[in-house]
Amino acid sequence: MHAPGTHSSTRRLRIPIFVVGIALLGTVLAILTRPAGASPSPLPADLPQNEACLTCHGRPGQQRPLPDGGALVLTIDPAHYDDSVHSNLPCTDCHTTISQFPHPELTARSAREYTLEMYTVCQACHAEQYDATLDSVHQRALAGGNTNAAVCTDCHNPHTQTPITDRSGTLLPEARLHIPQTCARCHSTIYDQYAHSVHGAALTGEGNPDVPTCMDCHGVHDIGDPTTNEFRLNSPLLCAGCHTDPERMQPYGISTQVLNTYVADFHGTTVTLFESTSPDQPTNKPVCYDCHGIHAIAPVDDPVNGLAMKENILIRCQQCHPDASANFPDAWMSHYIPDSQNYPLVYYVNLFYKFFIPGVLGPMILFVISDFVRRLIDRRKGAKRV
Amino acid sequence: MSKKSTPKPAAPAVKKGTAKGKAIGRTKAPAKKQPAVYARFHWTQRIAHFLLLTSFSLLGLTGLPQKFPLAGWAQAMIRFFGGIEMTRSLHHVFAVVLMLLTIYHIIDIGSKIFVLRVPLTMLPVIKDVKDAWQAFLYNLGVARTRPQMGRYTFEEKLEYWALVWGTIIMGLTGFMMWNPIATARILPGEAIPAAKAAHGGEALLAVAAIFIWHMYSVHIRRFNKSMFTGRLSEEEMLHEHPLELADIKAGLAERPVDSRTLRRRQRIYWPIAGLLTVAMLFGVYGFVGAETTATIAPPETQIEIFVPQTPTPLPTPAPGPLTWEAAIGPLFQQQCGICHASRAPTGLSLTSYAEALQGGSNGAVILPGDSINSLLVLVQAEGSHPATLRSADLERVRDWIDAGAPER
Repeated sequence: MHAPGTHSSTRRLRIPIFVVGIALLGTVLAILTRPAGASPSPLPADLPQNEACLTCHGRPGQQRPLPDGGALVLTIDPAHYDDSVHSNLPCTDCHTTISQFPHPELTARSAREYTLEMYTVCQACHAEQYDATLDSVHQRALAGGNTNAAVCTDCHNPHTQTPITDRSGTLLPEARLHIPQTCARCHSTIYDQYAHSVHGAALTGEGNPDVPTCMDCHGVHDIGDPTTNEFRLNSPLLCAGCHTDPERMQPYGISTQVLNTYVADFHGTTVTLFESTSPDQPTNKPVCYDCHGIHAIAPVDDPVNGLAMKENILIRCQQCHPDASANFPDAWMSHYIPDSQNYPLVYYVNLFYKFFIPGVLGPMILFVISDFVRRLIDRRKGAKRV
Repeated sequence: MSKKSTPKPAAPAVKKGTAKGKAIGRTKAPAKKQPAVYARFHWTQRIAHFLLLTSFSLLGLTGLPQKFPLAGWAQAMIRFFGGIEMTRSLHHVFAVVLMLLTIYHIIDIGSKIFVLRVPLTMLPVIKDVKDAWQAFLYNLGVARTRPQMGRYTFEEKLEYWALVWGTIIMGLTGFMMWNPIATARILPGEAIPAAKAAHGGEALLAVAAIFIWHMYSVHIRRFNKSMFTGRLSEEEMLHEHPLELADIKAGLAERPVDSRTLRRRQRIYWPIAGLLTVAMLFGVYGFVGAETTATIAPPETQIEIFVPQTPTPLPTPAPGPLTWEAAIGPLFQQQCGICHASRAPTGLSLTSYAEALQGGSNGAVILPGDSINSLLVLVQAEGSHPATLRSADLERVRDWIDAGAPER
């Protein structure tokens, strides 16, 4: 006896749908026949509101032509919407100007204009994230007149966005996988480089949770300008965030001495000092990515670009030192701490001074102390004699 | 320690002494009433010393922060000097001063050795080791007397030769760091970080030795002002250079050279010295200028920032068999479904194949095989229907009807 139940529910639905249909038809006709002075009809109040909207907007292929020749896609896939983080919100929470049919006339001349008109509504609920974007390179580009600059909804489709973090605020593994693809929508050439890099290949290939996505270096929401001196000077610490973490590096057998060996070297010392004394000044000394690549970071054992090959390092050296010869790359100790195997000359020079300095200063100090004490004694004796 | 004599009255005596052509700056003051004063350092030596102590100190001040760049004090100093690049430039400037001073010293020493033929009192000899040992034993209370020493004590010789050693090491390693590309043409690249290690180690040693040895010997033990005044009193001589004093008194310290011999030697020496100076100055020029243009900034990576992926095309009817199920049904649902979802409002439902073929209140709208007379096509072609199909879609509907309006 379950059949009547389903029947009655469809029957229950039919009446409202009919009502809405009539209303829509009426208004469509009204608009067509009497363009001026038509009285808009309220959206049916007896329907759960989103269902009323989805009656039309749930249909595939709904779009509205726009003055620029493009079209505004009006279809919301109800299934996707129900899976989205916003499924429990009424459409009109965001689409605040729409309360009746026909809707207010669109002022946007293009789909992009419509997006730019709409995205600010996100701040009503997501003030923290929205405010963060105000400092971002995207927002600055937008303010500078670049309407292509990403706004909230370019990365987060509000109608389909599924949860990104768990309850504790940690990024979900599957959400991490989507980050580069999200950025790729606008930055596809950079994505292509990243996707083939040691990091990107591990992420897209095996879903590796240890490799950085775009966000780990560039941040999220308050994405800074990566072409500034500040970013450049700070970048070694950015890389070091992961590359000095023994826990993260251990499974891959990667050295965690990369930062201190860099900082100990002439180049790294300079960059570190610039970072601390004049972070906004340009320096001609290289940072990690000048040798390893920015997005196209190759594994060091890569035969074409890998820096384990001296020839490949030489090419990097010659970017700044065009006259560098084949011996020159060894002036950089390849992140090694010198020992008797690697860079023994440096190791033995250091060892020599480890003994030579105390070997010279020790006797000097000994003599000076003995002389000082002796002269004190002599003086006292002399004084007594007088 | 002894009180120093008033220098003023002694000054003419000193000058007179040197004018006689006595061995460098050493003469006994003849004035009987005045306590005797002995010239120790010529004014050129004192100026050289001043330049040395200035360049050495400034090299240390600009160099040590580079050795410990992460330390707070070092960064404060680097900031004071105007940043690391400026600190390095200053270090280079003072290095050049020291190099020029070294050239001067070499030429000056050459003149003393080859022209004046003075006794080589700065050369280390076995006696210096014995003196040092005796002094140490005396300090310990083992030896009864201090060693008797000549013009240069073992302390002074140690300092001088340490400076010579240090300057050579610092100059060589400094050159390697200043000119790494030229260095790597001859030596393995590893020599450059090795040079840096040596330069830093030697710097620590030099600065520490100055603080321990030099400071103690001439500033703490007794402030020996001879490097600034140029002279020592008889009492100071007696205490510190008794053998030299004895030589002077015995007339052994002087080696008078007749002016003809002197001029002959000078005629040979100075052209050679001139050439040598030019060669060494050229060396300094190479040192400083060889690689100033050999470094360029890392090339900026140029990449187009905004390159959107090919945008996903707006949904179009899926190409496939021209049937109700695959193409026409979905098309009607999309384009007509708002109104023609059921028979009720308009008298025509296009939601199912059966209903569509059945037609509406005006009878059949689809005549399979006959699109020309199908009401749906007629109405759409007329263009007065509230919603019109795109011509491409209408064409597909025509084709479908002409094909017999198949369901699947």
